Amino acid sequence: MSVPSEPGPVRRRRRRGAPADGDERVHYSRWFWPSFTIPATIWLAILFILPLYTVISIAFGTVDPIFRGPLPVYEPWWWSGEQFGKVLNDSFGFYRIVYVHTFEYVVVASAICLVLAYAVAYYVARYGGKRKTLLLLLLVAPFFISYLMRMLAWINLLDTEGYVNKILTFLHITPHPVDWLGGRPSTVIMGLVYGYIPYMILPLYAFLDRIDVNLLEAGRDLGAGPARTFLRVTLPLSRPGILAALVIVSLPMFGDYYTQNLLSGSPKTTMLGNLIDEAVGSTGQGPKAAVFVIILMVLVLIPMLYYMRSTSRSLAVR
Amino acid sequence: MRHARDLSRREFLVRAGGTAAAVPTLSAILEACSKPGTAASGSETVQIARPDNPVTLPMNGEPIATDTPIEQGATLQILNWSVYMWKYVINQFVQQYGDNGIKFSGITTFNNMDEGVQKLQSGKIKADVFFPTIDVLGKLVAADLLQPLNHDLIPALQQDNWAVFQNPYYDQGWRYSVPYTIYTTGVGYRRDVIPDDVIHGMDNPWSILWDPAHKGKVGVYPSYRDVMAIALMKNGITDLNTSNDADLEKVRTDLLAMIDAVSPRIAYDASYNKLQRGVFDVTTAWSGDVVAGWGYDPPYTEASYKGYGYWFPADRKGPIDNDLIAIPKNAEHPRLAHEFINYWISFRHAMDNFSWNGYQPPQTQADVNELTKTQGLYSKQSSSWAAPTPYVGPWMPDAVVRETDFPIGYREGPLPADVDDHWHEIWSEFTAGVGS
Amino acid sequence: MSEGMLTRSRQQALPQQRGGFVRRWARNPWRKPTILATITWGYLTWSLLPLVIAIAVSFNASRSSSIVHPFSFQWWWSDPSDSLLHDPELHSAVVQSLKLSLVTMAIAVPLGVAFALGIDRWRGRLATGANFVVLLSFVMPEIILGLSLFFVFSFLLKFVALGSTAQILGLVTFQLSYPVIIVRARLLTISKEYEEAAMDLGATPKQSIRAVLLPMLYPAIIASAAIVFADTIDDFVTVRYLSGPVSSEPLSVKIYNAARAQPTPAVNAAATFMLASTIVVGFIAYLLYRAFTKGQRMGGVGDFATQL
Repeated sequence: MSVPSEPGPVRRRRRRGAPADGDERVHYSRWFWPSFTIPATIWLAILFILPLYTVISIAFGTVDPIFRGPLPVYEPWWWSGEQFGKVLNDSFGFYRIVYVHTFEYVVVASAICLVLAYAVAYYVARYGGKRKTLLLLLLVAPFFISYLMRMLAWINLLDTEGYVNKILTFLHITPHPVDWLGGRPSTVIMGLVYGYIPYMILPLYAFLDRIDVNLLEAGRDLGAGPARTFLRVTLPLSRPGILAALVIVSLPMFGDYYTQNLLSGSPKTTMLGNLIDEAVGSTGQGPKAAVFVIILMVLVLIPMLYYMRSTSRSLAVR
Repeated sequence: MRHARDLSRREFLVRAGGTAAAVPTLSAILEACSKPGTAASGSETVQIARPDNPVTLPMNGEPIATDTPIEQGATLQILNWSVYMWKYVINQFVQQYGDNGIKFSGITTFNNMDEGVQKLQSGKIKADVFFPTIDVLGKLVAADLLQPLNHDLIPALQQDNWAVFQNPYYDQGWRYSVPYTIYTTGVGYRRDVIPDDVIHGMDNPWSILWDPAHKGKVGVYPSYRDVMAIALMKNGITDLNTSNDADLEKVRTDLLAMIDAVSPRIAYDASYNKLQRGVFDVTTAWSGDVVAGWGYDPPYTEASYKGYGYWFPADRKGPIDNDLIAIPKNAEHPRLAHEFINYWISFRHAMDNFSWNGYQPPQTQADVNELTKTQGLYSKQSSSWAAPTPYVGPWMPDAVVRETDFPIGYREGPLPADVDDHWHEIWSEFTAGVGS
Repeated sequence: MSEGMLTRSRQQALPQQRGGFVRRWARNPWRKPTILATITWGYLTWSLLPLVIAIAVSFNASRSSSIVHPFSFQWWWSDPSDSLLHDPELHSAVVQSLKLSLVTMAIAVPLGVAFALGIDRWRGRLATGANFVVLLSFVMPEIILGLSLFFVFSFLLKFVALGSTAQILGLVTFQLSYPVIIVRARLLTISKEYEEAAMDLGATPKQSIRAVLLPMLYPAIIASAAIVFADTIDDFVTVRYLSGPVSSEPLSVKIYNAARAQPTPAVNAAATFMLASTIVVGFIAYLLYRAFTKGQRMGGVGDFATQL
């Protein structure tokens, strides 16, 4: 702690928001705190906002006639909506099924994630006891080895000659090996759950861990059984945590392409992310990729806004 | 005259944002103040090469002088497809030039040609050698991204390579390119599921990819040109660059029918890995992929190698092509690049690489009838873990490419923009997974 | 609520109460949570099994990565050309992964912490907007950011070379939200009065932040650094779109490319090596966390994980 350099008045407590009057010393110059935000703000303006604008400029731009690579048009008055209209039109045509699949997979995977993650987080938070440290370490462990590496292991496990099929046929659960990787929605959903659930368990755990045990005991003392206590006390209390966890997990899933690439590869399970990844690698399809990026952005923006509002409100409340 | 044309084209490309020059942000925006794209309307388009319409590419500058010294202490930069060159052969080259302090740090790879062109075009990757396909060669020259070759530094082409490639249709007088691999596009199949005589006895073996008996076990490449070419072949249409709406409608119908009939899956490694491991029964296949498959086929026994085969029309009338090697304009070590190309297409080294990647080189000294009997270097080296195998398994003679195949086979060339869009549209519909 | 009601309902909850076994079991608040325990351990098995297999395969004696064969160090160092020790491409991939993670961490964490501080103490309209963007980047599908950065570096900001520079710029943008969110959550629990007390004692604003506020934030800062490090090592969407020459391809991209062919167990060895290095970083972070939280809280792993 530094030595006081000047003798100052002893009592300094200012009400939040009250203007500093002559009697009170001004703690911070007007620009003190804002200056902290400047580097990150500039960073985001150049590397987040500008890139998004470039995507729009490409979606409404054209292609160069030789290599047919995308040519962004930066001025809105020269934008052409031709490509956008075409993709939008096809979105109600043959692409519709891709949107439907994407929604189905994300909704089902998020729901499974939530049930599973909640159960696990609840158990660790409430009943972890002495094993809590071990349990948490195990929960964090998947973060520490490459997601793709674990996916590779799954590919080998689910192979027609892999261990999963060996066990299933050995136990006579299925007469023949199941072709898990043959373009099954269930496998893609399993992959999505597997890839994203750690991101849900930890925030949920943190949230549930903070719930005051006294509230639960009060519930019990009032005669509620464990189920009622859970439904009437724990669940309502954890609503904000559930919402946040759902958004954190389901929105990124909308842009996932590698899970279906690795675990299925069938056109029947194509997701929105696959359309983007494929378009960006094909001659003359750059603007199409940009249009899909914009569509994806708009699709996730609505739940995002809801999430923002709920977090800003909960921050304000706390 | 040539200078003036080049200048306008280059100027256009700067505008287009497609050249190597690093344009500062502000000037890029200012330049864009005239509507982009409009400047192009006047400029001539790239000539489209076809076997019956050979193209002589314009000379962009002169080749390097024959007496240029080999660059010292250079790190060889290769821009290539993944899984395409055997590192052992590259390392041999590096050792051979060890006195010059040559190093090699790995291959910058791309998964499809567009990605490769993009990387080259960005100017940020200074490759010494690049491996383009025929359909982008003309464009690369038009955009001034390649340098002409010095023939004196590449004697191996005349000494060791087939006559067909001394004056190819896509690059008359081989000004910019030498041939690398040659391959046909056919059908890969599990011989334990589909006996050889069954597929060879079919009226239209291409249609086996649509046979519901193999539902869930059909693999196709993520390559719109090749898969659609097979759909064209199935319909007996031999113009693999067709712009005919009726032809393309047939392709569209067939591709959508394929989804309903067999639930195909899209995979890069369809015919060098998944076919071998029994994931697929039938695949679209480049001959080289199936040939290389033994290296991905545990338990690496002869019995397992014999589990898969390759079919191509007996009259050899099917899709056939070759890939190329070229030197980018901005290569930092052009002399070394010439040495490398000469090394790579010379008999011994070309064959060693072939033993690993399965893609045959057009070598005059290699008797095509012996390929199914002779063991390659990679197989010899792998004796500790794999059963020996010749260059090409004798049970898949269809995979051997002959010089006589080239005049009668069908070739995929570049497509005009609007036609290409149409092809892409159909392919999109296929990948979106909507059945017919 | 009357006394009587309370006693009555209390009695209901007591185990002596009549009823079927199942009913009693379901209503007993002190029973063992068998179902939850089963789910949890089942989940852990499911989530960790592939991890164990991925590690086991790296010790395979054969070339296959699909079956676990007897133990060998062939793919770690014995194989003269394809083992982790001898394959220069795997080397450079591992180095690139670590480099990207460390540099990203070094840039994103200070940026994010400063931003969180500023945004917490200053509520301007610009601040709200910037905060919105940070949260947006937190939940946005990565492909959107990866592609838009690829486009911006290809067209507008061409002086940024695809490769390490572009990758780091992209990763920092993507990871910035972690320190911001974690540090802000911590700031909400710290009363302003600490700094004010420091200033009352004569410290300048800067001194008060350095001497009072930052030490209280260390746990959150360390936790966010650890998570940025771990998440960056795993990243491949952004990194793949922004990769340039071969030397700029980190392990994750190598694995993705290999996954579509047939990888050798050397890739598993590399990933296992990364696992070990992440654990080392995590352990250091944990020790730091414990050192800095002395006297503040229990400092258990549990708290640390909660910070994550």
